[in-house]
Amino acid sequence: MKGSTRSGSGGALVYLRTMAVFALVWTGVAWWTDNSILLPTPLAVAQAAIDLAKSLELFEHAAISLGRMVVSITIASAIAIPLGLAMGLSTRLERIVDPTIEILRPISGIAWIPLALFIFGIGNTLPVFIMTYAAFFPIVVGTVGGVRAVDRRLIDAARTMGVPQRTIVTRVVVPAALPSLLVALRLGVALSWTAVVAAELIGAPSGLGYAVEWYRELLATPQVMSFIAMIGVIGYLCDAFVRELNRRFTPWMPATR
Amino acid sequence: MTALALRDRGQAIGLGAVLPLTIIVAWQVAGMAFGGVRLPLPSKIVAAAATMIASGDLPLAIVQSLGRVFGGFVIAALIAIPLGLAMGTARAVERNVDPVVETFRPIAAIAILPLAILWFGTGTSAAVMIVAYAAFFPIVVNTVAGAKDVNPTLLQAASTMGLSRLATMRTVIVPAALPSILVGLRIALGVGWTAIVAAELAVGAKAGGGGSGGIGQMMFVFYAYSIELNRIIVCMIAVGIVALVLDRALRAAMRALMPWSR
Amino acid sequence: MRPAARHTGRTALTAAIKLRLDGVEKRFAGSAGEATVAVANLTLDVRQGEFMVIVGPSGCGKTTVLNLLAGLASPTSGRVTIDDRAIVGPGPDRGVMFQDYALFPWRTVVGNVEFGLRYGPAGAGLDARARDERVRRNIELVGLNGSESKYPNQLSGGMRQRVALARLLANEPEVLLMDEPLAALDAQTRIILQDELLRIWGQDRPAAERRTVVFITHAIDEAVFLADRVAVMTTHPGRLKAIIDVPLPRPRGDATRADPQFQALTQHIWGLIRDEAYRATVT
Repeated sequence: MKGSTRSGSGGALVYLRTMAVFALVWTGVAWWTDNSILLPTPLAVAQAAIDLAKSLELFEHAAISLGRMVVSITIASAIAIPLGLAMGLSTRLERIVDPTIEILRPISGIAWIPLALFIFGIGNTLPVFIMTYAAFFPIVVGTVGGVRAVDRRLIDAARTMGVPQRTIVTRVVVPAALPSLLVALRLGVALSWTAVVAAELIGAPSGLGYAVEWYRELLATPQVMSFIAMIGVIGYLCDAFVRELNRRFTPWMPATR
Repeated sequence: MTALALRDRGQAIGLGAVLPLTIIVAWQVAGMAFGGVRLPLPSKIVAAAATMIASGDLPLAIVQSLGRVFGGFVIAALIAIPLGLAMGTARAVERNVDPVVETFRPIAAIAILPLAILWFGTGTSAAVMIVAYAAFFPIVVNTVAGAKDVNPTLLQAASTMGLSRLATMRTVIVPAALPSILVGLRIALGVGWTAIVAAELAVGAKAGGGGSGGIGQMMFVFYAYSIELNRIIVCMIAVGIVALVLDRALRAAMRALMPWSR
Repeated sequence: MRPAARHTGRTALTAAIKLRLDGVEKRFAGSAGEATVAVANLTLDVRQGEFMVIVGPSGCGKTTVLNLLAGLASPTSGRVTIDDRAIVGPGPDRGVMFQDYALFPWRTVVGNVEFGLRYGPAGAGLDARARDERVRRNIELVGLNGSESKYPNQLSGGMRQRVALARLLANEPEVLLMDEPLAALDAQTRIILQDELLRIWGQDRPAAERRTVVFITHAIDEAVFLADRVAVMTTHPGRLKAIIDVPLPRPRGDATRADPQFQALTQHIWGLIRDEAYRATVT
């Protein structure tokens, strides 16, 4: 969060201490309720997680979900970024396409699941479709915004140097819009990852969402929690990855949190 | 508006309508010519919508879902706003609570759903808890940001006037942080609405179609039991419309409450 | 090294006319439908090699004149020409320096300076080595050697302005158009850059060898210090009020600012626009 100090070992220490307190409180409540199905102790969850890791099951499902997300983001970006660039540069095109986007956007990817289930059935295509849809909107909207926000003066400067229009788009507009684009990508990744869990919970034969549901039906709460934790970890790592991309590709921007 | 501006507006609306209208018309025509009897068509969707609204099923489902959203929303706000204010003003609180919040923030509400079902069963309580969880994070993050953004000079002025901590909170920090808090509430409402649809869908899938109603459940029933594609699409459109209305209504309320801010 | 020749500020009356605005009017369509006339019936000649400064109160159309000369805007009526050819669009022959530098933040100093040579017609016919050489020369000319790999956000305001100047000069334009380039700098940096600008422009060279400059500013002392002639504009609508010759000898420096003729000219020009400037602050 803004302003919180996370500098090196000092920050890590505080983090560990707080999580230790949290684990203690958890253990206390778990003993008090004394129902290992309702609330297992942290130790039980840790043990389950280790077993799942050893058997590689944890990582198999994680890899599958992650793979789906990579595919979805790639497809969504391949459509949304060029479209967003074109829309940002041409008011006409934006006027034609934007209302349709604004109509579809409030219908979340998750609302598409029943219809998509009917069209695609349970399998790999369903999660990828839902996730691509979910990622598409923030990316296209963010790209359009980024292009529109490009400082007019930069384009004028290039024009006064006699640079042709096409080169202005590739050498001025795209680099100038890049920071916004990466922010939009970050949001797309987050929404896509949320959608993967929902889609897999309902309509996939594999992946982290599926695993969570599978173990819930077996009332194996430690495993359920292990997979939920994995969902969180990978979500965090993906976000950190895009943030790092942001830092690498836009070294002239101030660091974002 | 001048003639020039009017014509420009008209052109914009015209251009905007082209794509949706083309899709709808093409769909209707192609569907009528080539489609099977089960293919959903705009005409059938409109008919289904009319039936569902007239019978009261659709409005009821929406109201049920909205009720759960508001319930979870209120719970989240009652916890997140005070917590956010505390975190934003007291370093010690933030240092100890922030790690926990940041650890759970990447875990989407829907991932918690199976756990919620385990704890609360497949009824309304699980759905409300999911909404509360989902709404919690945007509210707390924005409240903390709003509390931290308060102009330090204002705080200094308050202390030189001898205001107690609590009074400062009430009269300086809360009003200054209000715009951010309301932004958080607006985001939370949208997130909550998406979460309830997901939760009801998943609950419907697992509870076998019976249970507590709501629009997500309704959609699932139409998928699994009666295979009414037109009705599913009506529900999808309803989900979209409600999301839009909620967002616009809250924006308008914000503008009315705080005419000085954007 | 040639001894500095004492030229008068007056360019020879037979000097060729480089830029001309002839009966130019520019109107904009307002948001509520009514038109704003930014500039009305403006006729102004700029001579080859002269340093022309345009001053006036806010809103008098100075920037519009610059945009017209740059080709970023076209006149509603009247003609704008360079060497008697109509100006139809922007181009590297008329280099522009903007008030907020307009440096590409994702490119280093070198990356910025070489931009026009790399992607525009000014660099056609230059191989990579010749281009790099020209870039290096211009960076050195503005006094920035050593900072080649820095990004704009690592530079001070004065340094950024030098980069903008180097980028402009690298394209070897015939005309330099500058829109309040020193406005965003603090007073001390401003004075230093005024001296630098005159040095880089070549104030001790004969008019035929110098580039033509059209410079816009709010600051009257800056105008008198830099200019061969000062064009004073008024507002609502923007029109030319007077053209003042500045016969102060070149090369100019700190001594010039203490010259009584300098003070007199400054006061005279202030007298011309003072009423309008006052009105602009109360309406």
